[in-house]
Amino acid sequence: MLAGLLALATNLALIGFIQWRTYDESESTLRRQVTQQAHVLADVFHSGGRDALEDAIDDTLDPDDPQAGAAILDRGGHLDYGNINYVPGPGESFGQGYRPALISLQGSATPHEAGLYLQRMPHGAWLANARIAGEGLALRNTLQRSLLVGIALSLLLGIACGLVVARYVGQRVRAIGEVAARIGGGDLDQRVPLNRSGDAFEGLALQINAMLDRIGTLMGELRMLTDTLAHDLRSPLGRLRAAADAAIGADSAEERDQFLSNILQQCDSLMRILTTILEIARTESFASRKQFASFDAASLGAELAEMYEPLAEEAGARLTFEQSGSGFALNGHRQLLAQALSNLIENALNHGRAGKQITVFTKRSGDYLSLGVRDRGPGVPADRREQACQRFGRLDSSRTSGGAGLGLTLARSIAHLHAGELVLDDAKPGLIASLELPITGEATFD
Amino acid sequence: MGRKILIIEDDRETASYLVRGLTEEGHSIEHVTDGQDGLFRASDGSFDLIIADRMLPKLDGLSVVRALRAAKVATPVLILSALATVGDRIEGLEGGSDDYLVKPFSFAELLARAHALFRRSDARPTTADPRIIVEDLEIDPLSRSVRRGDRKIELKPREYLLLEYFARNAGKVVTRTMLLEQVWDYHFDPGTNVIDVHVSRLRRKLEEGFDQPLLRTVRGAGYMLSA
Repeated sequence: MLAGLLALATNLALIGFIQWRTYDESESTLRRQVTQQAHVLADVFHSGGRDALEDAIDDTLDPDDPQAGAAILDRGGHLDYGNINYVPGPGESFGQGYRPALISLQGSATPHEAGLYLQRMPHGAWLANARIAGEGLALRNTLQRSLLVGIALSLLLGIACGLVVARYVGQRVRAIGEVAARIGGGDLDQRVPLNRSGDAFEGLALQINAMLDRIGTLMGELRMLTDTLAHDLRSPLGRLRAAADAAIGADSAEERDQFLSNILQQCDSLMRILTTILEIARTESFASRKQFASFDAASLGAELAEMYEPLAEEAGARLTFEQSGSGFALNGHRQLLAQALSNLIENALNHGRAGKQITVFTKRSGDYLSLGVRDRGPGVPADRREQACQRFGRLDSSRTSGGAGLGLTLARSIAHLHAGELVLDDAKPGLIASLELPITGEATFD
Repeated sequence: MGRKILIIEDDRETASYLVRGLTEEGHSIEHVTDGQDGLFRASDGSFDLIIADRMLPKLDGLSVVRALRAAKVATPVLILSALATVGDRIEGLEGGSDDYLVKPFSFAELLARAHALFRRSDARPTTADPRIIVEDLEIDPLSRSVRRGDRKIELKPREYLLLEYFARNAGKVVTRTMLLEQVWDYHFDPGTNVIDVHVSRLRRKLEEGFDQPLLRTVRGAGYMLSA
């Protein structure tokens, strides 16, 4: 509809313009012709007198040119010689020069629009030259007609185009709307259909699908979270229950106290697991990027190495810190990275202490910063590394020490938060677990 | 030494737990159940400590603190919250609160932190002598040198920082989390007893060859430096 209206408006403007110009054109042509003719006859009269003029008038009145008018009018304005009948209308009067006027030519009673040129002659007579504006008028009428046809056509075309476009747009929009409705109804697997047209709708569809993919991933993780939570908290809760039971049946106050302490410890451990899970979920939502700040990653590594060194010594291993490369200023979350690195160190202490040497390292190479731990323990076989990083994926079901099963998972989420990755590799022998983080400012959150 | 403590907590169970426990310790407690009331009561600056829950009706805990600080009220504030992630803790500490304790908490932990906060507002050193003296232990913060009796004790930098923190909180319980936060500036929860090992190393250096123990373990809570 809009297209139709627009077409109409442009056409009207066009017509108006053309009309105005053609009118002008034909009008000035008429004027020129009449004036020219008038001057010619005037010259004839001045050079040859009345007789010559009458002859010239006869020549002018050519049956091939029915619009031409030439005459001598008497003092009263009546036709004396020639073919012009002219009665001045209200407001018009006889006077020298050109004016548009209504005249009738001899042989026709109807007055026509014409250009009239009057010139004074001796004894009050007038030399009149005229031309009926037939040509210009006809041309104008023709133009008007064709333009009207033009309007009608463009209106039709406009409406047709409008309908076609509206249908196309409507179709695409409706398709997207349908997918959205289905997703709203719960079917997250829906995607907007693509038809490879490469236009803006295609782009929109791709974007929406990408967004749906991300939502799907997050929803999936949430589902997995609640599933594994329900599953994996059963054992600790079971142990808790058993300890409480035992406390009730305890023989002495001392024994009871022991059980109660144990219960307290288990509760703390459970709290830690829960908090870690929340931490993972929160980290994966990238909300913590708001707390990013610049800090020295190398000193973080050194500090954590120093913190864990005594514990390593007690476990019979030597823990050292290694730094290679330069330029360790990182824009990130110091606390979370400390947590991640601490998880990796604890993992090494739990599983790799047999190798006697644990190295915490920070390495800068090119655009990447590696923050990690190397041990000489049994390592992780390549085909089980992914499993190790998954939630609650423990390679040995040894006793949980407060969320140890989630340590690598959280470390990986924290790596993702920094646009990086947790990499497990073979230290030949042993395991290298490191956070590979890009350091060129990609970790900034906009 | 009884203190005036304001508790802003809308959860009945937590509130009664706190009120009872702190009253038993000899403190005088006032309890309100929403943030607006809390802000109103706290604004005269007459309390030694404010314990505020983060989630409160009418005005949340963090906003109460921000309003107090804007009004130049310097009363120490301890925030209690079930929001336990690292990000939540950092958020909780911005805006002017002095400490952040995650629920569920042990009362011993709460008490230890409360005492540390009292101490902070007490400790305006008026004496020109910067040395810290606990029993026969003498610490000079300027030179970072430590003597016990007539013997000089050699400590690694971190061990010194640990000792100084203990000494500034001498006679009061210091929990593992407090140590992790104040001596290492880390706000996550290590699953292992990594702090314990540092403390036992320090203890060995302080007590080897001396009769009197100085660094005690307080069961269920943490440690304390005293005779």
